Amino acid sequence: MDLVDDLQLPLGDRERTRRAFLAAVGVAAVGVAGFGTGVTAVRFLQPEVLFEAPTRFRVGRPEDIPAGTLVVLPEQRVYLLRTPAGFVAMTAVCTHLGCLTRYEAENDIIFCPCHGSRFATDGSVVNGPAPLPLPRLALSLDNGLLVVDTAVTVSRDTVLAA
Amino acid sequence: MSDAMHQTSTPKLATRLLQNRVYRSIVRHGPFDTNRNRSLAVFSNFFLHIHPVKVRLRAIAFTRTFYLGGLSAASYLILVVTGVFLMFYYHPSVPRAYEDMKDLQYAVYMGPFLRNLHRWAAHAMVALVFLHMVRVFFAGAYRPPREFNWVIGVVLFVLTVLLSYTGYLLPWDQLAFWGVTVGTNMADAMPVLGPPTKFLLLGGTAVSENALLRFYVLHCVVLPLFLVVLVSVHIWRIRKDGGIYLGSPGGEGSTPNAQGPTPTAAAAPEAPRP
Amino acid sequence: MNAPPRFALDAGDDARRAPVRLVVIQDEQRPAVDETGEPVVMTMPHLLVRELIALLVFSLGLVVVAIFVDAPLEEIANPLETPNPAKAPWYFLGLQELLHYYPPFISGVLLPAAVILALVVIPYFDINLERRPLAEARRTRVLVRLWTSVAAISALLLGTASHPLWPVLVPLWLVAVLMTVPEIWPRRHGVVGWLGTRSLAFWIFTWFLLATTALTVIGVLFRGPGWAFTLPWRDGIY
Repeated sequence: MDLVDDLQLPLGDRERTRRAFLAAVGVAAVGVAGFGTGVTAVRFLQPEVLFEAPTRFRVGRPEDIPAGTLVVLPEQRVYLLRTPAGFVAMTAVCTHLGCLTRYEAENDIIFCPCHGSRFATDGSVVNGPAPLPLPRLALSLDNGLLVVDTAVTVSRDTVLAA
Repeated sequence: MSDAMHQTSTPKLATRLLQNRVYRSIVRHGPFDTNRNRSLAVFSNFFLHIHPVKVRLRAIAFTRTFYLGGLSAASYLILVVTGVFLMFYYHPSVPRAYEDMKDLQYAVYMGPFLRNLHRWAAHAMVALVFLHMVRVFFAGAYRPPREFNWVIGVVLFVLTVLLSYTGYLLPWDQLAFWGVTVGTNMADAMPVLGPPTKFLLLGGTAVSENALLRFYVLHCVVLPLFLVVLVSVHIWRIRKDGGIYLGSPGGEGSTPNAQGPTPTAAAAPEAPRP
Repeated sequence: MNAPPRFALDAGDDARRAPVRLVVIQDEQRPAVDETGEPVVMTMPHLLVRELIALLVFSLGLVVVAIFVDAPLEEIANPLETPNPAKAPWYFLGLQELLHYYPPFISGVLLPAAVILALVVIPYFDINLERRPLAEARRTRVLVRLWTSVAAISALLLGTASHPLWPVLVPLWLVAVLMTVPEIWPRRHGVVGWLGTRSLAFWIFTWFLLATTALTVIGVLFRGPGWAFTLPWRDGIY
């Protein structure tokens, strides 16, 4: 067996620096290509168009909700309350790990079955592992109808005056 | 050749089956009554040549390893086979996925059996991989030069658990749905990378069809590929490091030739490496 | 090297088939793979048959279980209703139990990552399988350090968790006691002697094993709706 590659060793100084330079350029090029590939791959995997339900929807007329009641909208995951101060829309998704809470009318408490978190009807945490109170959602009036936007959270004391 | 006159028909049939050109072109060893043929059976076989031709007797005792690594691989093999069979009846879409599970339960021949086998093999694999890790630790088989193989092993354990987790969503029942909800919300809790990771995993903002499809691809293609590649490297490295770790009183023992005679008390090293 | 060389004489008519020659047969010509003389067997059949039997027994066991025990299937996924309790499969219940004590970032991201990192680091950190029993003078110092660390970890765990983290604390204290016993009653042999030569990595790993087992067992058997504490013999297993 005769080895026939023409690697001329030892390398002269000029040859060595030229090879080192070309190698560095090659590595840099591969690095850039690899980085570009990675970025493209991640962006490819992120959907641009989502076929999910709209976040803004009508929930009914304000006259239909008597004072002091809490309406549960499970499909939209929203609690709609009418307090003495006005209307409040609150998310029904537990702030702990995303389970859907339930309203216990007899105890006037909002309860999460996953880990036992409990919230008062104003959203504050009564007990349980939930770290944050239930956020309130943007509520507005449109042509005499209440409209909730679940994508927009508002401050805890926001109320839509009756 | 005239000696063959007194053979009965069975040996003659065996001879004709095993001595003809076609057979000899496929199988390159003879019967296992010589050490040479036994060697060739392992050495010249694509599937078996990960094994050494000879192996130390101590290494193959059941109580040495409880065959946990091998059984983990066996459970993976069962999972791949049953998984492929199940794939013929499963559509990763909502709500078809759940209906397919019902089909498997009631309308497919041996459907329940295949599904059960897949599910119990999955639980077995998680348990076996964990026990394998425990066994390797208490035997000290992670010590140099096997450190990186231990790291590969830990990665393999994480892959096994991820495979189990992604598979769990596929039936699209209540347990699956809420399990994924909780899990992705936990991923969301990671700083900086959390929300983008959750978005990528779910293919959106909610657990929906997109999430099911992504978990399906992860479960059936991406994670199994990683696992196969890493298991191959894992077993290869065991071979290169001299096979099953047997240890020795002196504290060395990673390659056969490094196993010196039992050191005397005076020569016993304080450090593991002289 | 054991038996003297044997000689055999072969003769025949055909020079190509059996030339007249003197043959020296040396016993046991093996390649020098194993210079220690450790017993070695052929992979085929010894190892391969064992592997085959193990594979068959394992498969048979799984098949029997698959025939008689059905995998569960609950109702179809309903985004509008979270079941109570919503329990993960058993290998995740340890983590889910940990969620009861710490917020999701700690128990779901930080602690698992720390555990995996600790596992990965083991072989680079402490490779002594055994350690020498401590000399008298060092004993006190080591015990003080040990119990100070245990006290610090216990204080940290008790102070930061929402409930006392018993499944992790009790194994910690058990391990600390087992580490202390051989220092107080030094022995050369027996169980106490063996305990005294275990390395630190051994004890940390044992603590990890006991803690994960405890967390998983509690999550599987002792948690019911709302993640409340239940007794399996009284309330059943959820």
